[in-house]
Amino acid sequence: MVDHVKTDAELVASTLRGSQDAFRELVVRFERPVYSLVQRMVQDPATAEDLAQEVFVKAYRRLDSYDPQWKFSSWLFKIAHNTTIDHLRRGVPETVPLESEEEGRADLSAMLADEAAESPAAAAERRDLARSLERAISRLRPEYRQAVLMFYAHGASYQEICEATGLPLGTVKTNLHRARKELAQAMTALGWGPESETGNVRAS
Amino acid sequence: MRPSPHDALNRWLAAERDDRADSADSADIADAALRELFEALPSLAPAAGFADRVLARARLQPETRDVFASRALRLVLLFSLIAVSLGAIWLPPTLRALARLWTLSDVVRLGARAVAEGSRGLAMVLRVSEWLLSLGRALSAPLMTPQVMAALTVGLLVSGLAFRFLRDQLTGERSLSYVDPL
Repeated sequence: MVDHVKTDAELVASTLRGSQDAFRELVVRFERPVYSLVQRMVQDPATAEDLAQEVFVKAYRRLDSYDPQWKFSSWLFKIAHNTTIDHLRRGVPETVPLESEEEGRADLSAMLADEAAESPAAAAERRDLARSLERAISRLRPEYRQAVLMFYAHGASYQEICEATGLPLGTVKTNLHRARKELAQAMTALGWGPESETGNVRAS
Repeated sequence: MRPSPHDALNRWLAAERDDRADSADSADIADAALRELFEALPSLAPAAGFADRVLARARLQPETRDVFASRALRLVLLFSLIAVSLGAIWLPPTLRALARLWTLSDVVRLGARAVAEGSRGLAMVLRVSEWLLSLGRALSAPLMTPQVMAALTVGLLVSGLAFRFLRDQLTGERSLSYVDPL
């Protein structure tokens, strides 16, 4: 017999009735996407951890204002967006890590877990590509970065991005279009593209 | 063998370079390829115990501290226990000596005195409270006129609306205007 998996709205309702387990379940359910989004915005794991905690604490304190007709993830991403933008506006200089330990661990664990593991050369190329893509993303302005991460990394719809950022639909689509162009230019400048397969030297 | 992300990268960059770059087809191809490419990014996750830290931060659960973790406290407790144990040897003769000093009437007299003192203290508190109450009545009497009540009500309404407006401004949606520091 399969246990009923509670929906986000049901967990919210349980939390409002005082269930700590329900809120813990919500945190566990959304900790990865929220943390992932925040970290790729602020580029620092320690700051991302702090901001991600703040996002969930704010969500808990405002839970009574959540309207179940909207997706909980959209509402949570909106809080994450505001929290991250406030942090960036405080003028904390952004850092672009050369390589994070987390990336190395995540890549290694993913590779080790993969039963059809690719060759070391392919794995290294995959890591190299991921690193270049991360670097290209970090160079985008925050509103483009947010839109790109939500749309391509988290699979959010245009409507969800509008709700999270408070921007009109046209602006979101324009931001995504321009962000994609800028990413393509950045990746090409870093030496990626069809020519890179022939062994041309890539920019570091 | 996993598909190479290089294929997705090439499809994406080719779609971006396409002469018909603004067409819906090129945009769809670029979107699909870029989504596939993003799947190559490592999945980021917070350190273990993230949910516990969130709950502690939200004060949903108190941070658990081991009271007996302090070595000094453990030593104090140990010496206290030894002192009490040694003191218990002298407890019975001490109690017998105290019993010879005090009779039952002494104990009753002591209790009655304590009740009397307590009653006097309570009476003092009641007198002070009555004085404060009469002071409050004297100050509030002029405020009971209709004009003053109306002015107070209007003032409360205005301040309530102003507070609500301020709260909405502080917590409402923010418009994003990014200023490039460079």
